[in-house]
Amino acid sequence: MSPSSRFRSDGFSRRQVLRLFAGASVCACCGSVHANKLAYNLAATEIAEGTWAVHGSNDYFTLENGGNIVNIAFIEVPGGVVVVDTGPSRRYGEALLQLIEKTIPGKPVLRVYNTHHHPDHFLGNQVFDANIIAAPQQVIDNIAAEGEGFTDNMYRLVGDWMRGTASTAPGVALDNSTEEIGGRQFSLFYLSGHTSADLVVRDDETGIVFSGDLAFYNRAPTTPHADLNVWQDSLRTIAAMDRQLILPGHGMVDSTGASLEQTGDYLDWLQRSLTEAAGSGLTMNEAMSLPIPDRFRSIDVVEAEYQRSVVHMYLALEDELMPLIEMK
Amino acid sequence: MFCRSLVRCIVISTALMMTGGVSADSALPKDPLNSVMWKSLAERFFPGEIIFDQRVIVSAPYDAEDQMQVPITVDATQIDNVEQIVALADLNPIPHILTFHPTRAQPFIGFRVKLEQASPIRIGVKTTDGVWHVNGVIVNAAGGGCTAPALAHGMNNWYQTLGQTRAITRRESDNSARLSLRMRHPMDTGLASGIPVFYMSQVEVTSPQGEALAHLELFEPVSENPTLTLKPLVQDNIDELLVYARDTEANEFRFSLPVPATVDN
Repeated sequence: MSPSSRFRSDGFSRRQVLRLFAGASVCACCGSVHANKLAYNLAATEIAEGTWAVHGSNDYFTLENGGNIVNIAFIEVPGGVVVVDTGPSRRYGEALLQLIEKTIPGKPVLRVYNTHHHPDHFLGNQVFDANIIAAPQQVIDNIAAEGEGFTDNMYRLVGDWMRGTASTAPGVALDNSTEEIGGRQFSLFYLSGHTSADLVVRDDETGIVFSGDLAFYNRAPTTPHADLNVWQDSLRTIAAMDRQLILPGHGMVDSTGASLEQTGDYLDWLQRSLTEAAGSGLTMNEAMSLPIPDRFRSIDVVEAEYQRSVVHMYLALEDELMPLIEMK
Repeated sequence: MFCRSLVRCIVISTALMMTGGVSADSALPKDPLNSVMWKSLAERFFPGEIIFDQRVIVSAPYDAEDQMQVPITVDATQIDNVEQIVALADLNPIPHILTFHPTRAQPFIGFRVKLEQASPIRIGVKTTDGVWHVNGVIVNAAGGGCTAPALAHGMNNWYQTLGQTRAITRRESDNSARLSLRMRHPMDTGLASGIPVFYMSQVEVTSPQGEALAHLELFEPVSENPTLTLKPLVQDNIDELLVYARDTEANEFRFSLPVPATVDN
C-alpha cells in the first residue's frame, strides 16, 4: 500500500513538515495526554509453530494508527530469527524488535526481507543492520527512487509517529531461488504486479507463504503502482505453490487460498468496471460513484480504495480507450 | 508636516475601505466552507446576489490522490436558465479554474484541476436573472500541484503532440450528447521555475450550422492534457459537433466529432 508518490510534496521538505509538527507538540505539552506517548502496542500471534504474525489494522494510514496497517512476520529458525517486512516507521521497528526479544529471548535476527517498496513495509528498516536486510535489486532501486518521497508523505499522514524515521535501503540484493538462514531453507519468488517488484517468501519447513501485498484478505487491495494483468499472473503463481498457509500483506491469515481468489476477483472487477466507465466517457467522479458489488462490500475500506484506484487507473484507460481524432 | 498628512490620508482611506467592507459583508451570505478567501473571491467572481444552493452538485474526492489531476464534476441540471458556471479553487495561487457558458448544452461539466494545497473547490452558477447559485466542497491535498512542472517537460518532443486529441461522443438521449475529450497540452501555470505561462485558454463547441453550443474559458489551474466532459444539446438533427480550441500562444486546433444517430445505453 502506498500514499501516491506523485502526491508527494515537491518543494515541501520533511524539515518543514517537522517544523509544523514541532508547533503542534508544544500544544500537546499543555494538556493532551495521548499525544505524549505514542505506542504501537504490538502483539504477536503464533500462526504456526515458531512463526508469529504481527497484525496491523485494516484501515488506511491515520494519526491514530501511526501507519500500523500491515502484517509483519517473524520466524524462529534454529540459529536465530527471520523477519518479513519491518513496518511503517522507526518507532514501529523498535517496538517490533522488543516484541521479538520478548517472544524469542536471546536469539539474534539473522535475516530481514522487504517484500516491496511501499512505506508500511520497509520504513522500520532503520533499526536493523542494513547488511542483513535483503530484497530483489528492483525493490532496492524502487526504495532509492521513491523511499524519501514516501517518507515525507508519511510524516504528513501520520505525524509524530514518524519521528526520526528515514528511508533505509536493504544492503543485500537477492537473486537466488532459495537461501538457507540459520539452518532453515526459504524459497524466494520474484514476482510483480502490485508494484514493479514483489518478493514472495516461503518457509520451506512450515510451508507458510509470505505473499507481501500480492494478496489482501478482507482488506481492499491498493493499486498506486499496480499492473493488474501482471498481478493476476502472480496470483496464479502463488495459487500453484506447494504451501500450507498464506500470510497476506494486509488482512487475515489464509489457510485455503481464499485471499488469492478474493484479491483476483476484486482486481478483475476493478479492471472490467473501469474499462467500461472510461470507454463510455464517464467522468472520474461518475466512475467513483458506481456501485460496488455486494460480495466486496464487507471488505474493509473498499470504498476509499476503490476511489483511489479510479485515480490510479483512469488516465491510462482513457488513453487506451478514447480514439484519436484527426485535426482539420 | 508632509509625513503627518500622509499618515492621516492613509488612516482616512483605511477607514473608508473598512466602511466599504462592512457594508459588503452584510450583503454577503456566510460561507458554509468557512474559507478565508470567500469575501474577496465572492466580490471578484460573483458580483450581485449570491445564494448557496444545494442543487449545484459538486463531485470531488475528499482526498486528492494525485493533486496534478483532481477530478471535479459539476451538475447544475436541476437549475433552469443557467447562463454560466465559474469554477474556483479558493487557495490556489491562481484560483480561477474555468468559466463555462452552456449556451445550448446541459449545465454539466467534468474537468480536472491542479491543486497547490488542500482547498475548497467553489462553483458559482449564474442564472439569467443575475443570481449566483454557489456550492462547493473541500479537497484535501499535500502541496505543490501548481508549482510543479508538467509531465510533458520530461519529454523533449512534447510540442510535436501539442493539441493531439482523443474523444468519445455518445448520444445519451434524443436531444443530448455526451462529449468527453482530452487534448494534449502542458497547461503551464508560469509558476514552475523557468517555464513561462502557456495553456489552452478557449474551447468552443458549435453545430455544423455554426450555432454555439458550449463555450469555455480555461485558466492555468486546469490539469495538463485538459480532459473535459460536456453534454451538448443535439436536437434538430445535429449529427456532428465542431470543436475549436486555442491556447495562449494563439495555436488553434479544429476538429469535428460525429454524433451517433441512435441513443446508446
